[in-house]
Amino acid sequence: MITTIASHQILALRRQRVFIALLGILLAMTALAGVLGWSSHRTIVGVYGEATRLLAAQGQPAPANPFTLKPTLALLSNMVIYIPLIGALLALVLGHLSIADDEAGGVGRLVFSRRVSRNTYLAGKVTGAAAVLAVILASSLVVSATSVWIVNRTVPTIAELGRLGLFYGLSWLYLLAFALIGMIAVLATRSKPIALLSAMGAWLVITFVIPQFTSGLRPTASLNPIIDPVSTSQTFFKVTSKARPFSVVEQYKTVSGRILETAPSEPMAQTIARTLPLALLAIVLIAIAAVLLSHHDFSRGAGDE
Amino acid sequence: MNDSARRILTLAKHEYRAAVRSRILSVLLGILVSVTAVSVFIASVDYRSQVADYRAYVASAQAGGVQRIAPSPLRPLSLLRGATEYLEIIGAVIAITLGYLTIARERTNRTLTLLRSRPVTAGELAGGSLLGAVGIISTLVVVTGTAGVLLAGLVGNDWINAAQAVRLGLAAVSAVIYMMVFYCVGAVATARSKVAASGLMIALGIWLLVVLIIPQLGDTLDADNQIPGGLFKALGLNREGETQILSHFHTYETTRVGIEEASFAKHYERFSFAMTDVLDKYREYSLSQLLHEKWHDIAWLVVYPLLALAALWQSFRHQPTIPTGDLQ
Repeated sequence: MITTIASHQILALRRQRVFIALLGILLAMTALAGVLGWSSHRTIVGVYGEATRLLAAQGQPAPANPFTLKPTLALLSNMVIYIPLIGALLALVLGHLSIADDEAGGVGRLVFSRRVSRNTYLAGKVTGAAAVLAVILASSLVVSATSVWIVNRTVPTIAELGRLGLFYGLSWLYLLAFALIGMIAVLATRSKPIALLSAMGAWLVITFVIPQFTSGLRPTASLNPIIDPVSTSQTFFKVTSKARPFSVVEQYKTVSGRILETAPSEPMAQTIARTLPLALLAIVLIAIAAVLLSHHDFSRGAGDE
Repeated sequence: MNDSARRILTLAKHEYRAAVRSRILSVLLGILVSVTAVSVFIASVDYRSQVADYRAYVASAQAGGVQRIAPSPLRPLSLLRGATEYLEIIGAVIAITLGYLTIARERTNRTLTLLRSRPVTAGELAGGSLLGAVGIISTLVVVTGTAGVLLAGLVGNDWINAAQAVRLGLAAVSAVIYMMVFYCVGAVATARSKVAASGLMIALGIWLLVVLIIPQLGDTLDADNQIPGGLFKALGLNREGETQILSHFHTYETTRVGIEEASFAKHYERFSFAMTDVLDKYREYSLSQLLHEKWHDIAWLVVYPLLALAALWQSFRHQPTIPTGDLQ
């Protein structure tokens, strides 16, 4: 039954062209990250060349090349920004539609007129959303690998492909959490737009507000893959930084940086530990969705405010 | 007051009251005001110690008979940077929500078609709704700004002077204009969609593009942003060297600047940052110098709202006088 519900959801998303829209946006985003990475590469090389010539003309020694230490997968560093920014919003919409359409179209009422438990229904919905995200991110992985191949002019090594796989695996878990937030918002509110805006409120808090409290990151600074270190020596941050391990967007970015080798290395155990809050969040969200679903009345249509 | 003005005022009052009653709007407002207050508080705590250091320096210099005392490099208005950034991101979402609610509420209650069947012109309808929304947005900006100034004064121990208050006022006006444009985006997208929720999604898509993606592209492509701490600094180059090198990247820089120019959010941000002393280079400018320097951003802050207002008026003009479409 779980497979049936999941298959129905995937079919509904395909018919509504939501699947193709999500896939198109994610792939465009991945290609854009590749183009930006290529552009960044060219700019640094060009600026370094001009700087060397300028300094030589002034009789000064050539500066150290800031690009030599840049790893091959660094050109995808924009993906680390786009996944929490655009990917998470798309995942919210995916989760939102998964439940809202069943509510509005009467599928929910029909399903529960049969011998289907609420947990089975939820498992089917989560499986469907997880499968859609997995297909989309697998396609993004192919585009990313191709970008690396084109820009670096060498076929990605097995190790690099493994790193890309890990990065997209982590991104899948991250997006799944936001799809669950989208579902929960529909289950917890009475109208579709309010559900969407509430889910967006949660996304704003997770993406922009919490990092400012725990690490002093300004909202617009969060949009740049290269962030200048911020002073967090104040007493305020000494207290709030204790909550940093639970700032999932920061942990996601840090772990992604480690995987793509754009951030300083650290022991493997520490990197794995950073992913635990994200996994924990997904589990907690599933539990919340299960509780809300057990009380949810599908005979109630979703309307505007 | 003529009949038309009275009708506009009545519609504006209705819009204001309805918005105040909305729960989702209250939640978003709560998030905005609290995060802004905390952001200013965090900046003010650090600032307070810098003010104390400067005052200690002045006291010791005066005691030592020093004639030329260096002016304070500190600017209390710069503490409001968080407020500007949150208004840019969350404020725009609030404005879109307001615009969405303007249409969705009337559709759900089936009052939009009723209103259109009355002797109320599209211009009066658009004007009334917009005036009500401007009232709500102004209240929100004033509350956020006042909370920021009070926190900067009480916690940062430095109060703004009259000249700074004028510049803050101009920044507040730009914030109201900025949010007003997003109000129009929310209302127009909703009015043009048969299903209100789809209009909301389209408006949020535009927000994502204009507020987050385009400015991010411009920042990411900035040559100096390629390395933490700045590429030119890493190469040991000063401002002159940077300008000299960038002259070899004319096409690249033109494209990058062009991308940034396309974002209305970036113009608002640049103007507000200049007015609130966020950027060091504008701190010594007089108001007239600042306005002259920022005329380009001011021009965009005028052009975009005019386009948005025209689109809003057109949308109200095309609203049917008999119920059609899905209410959701």
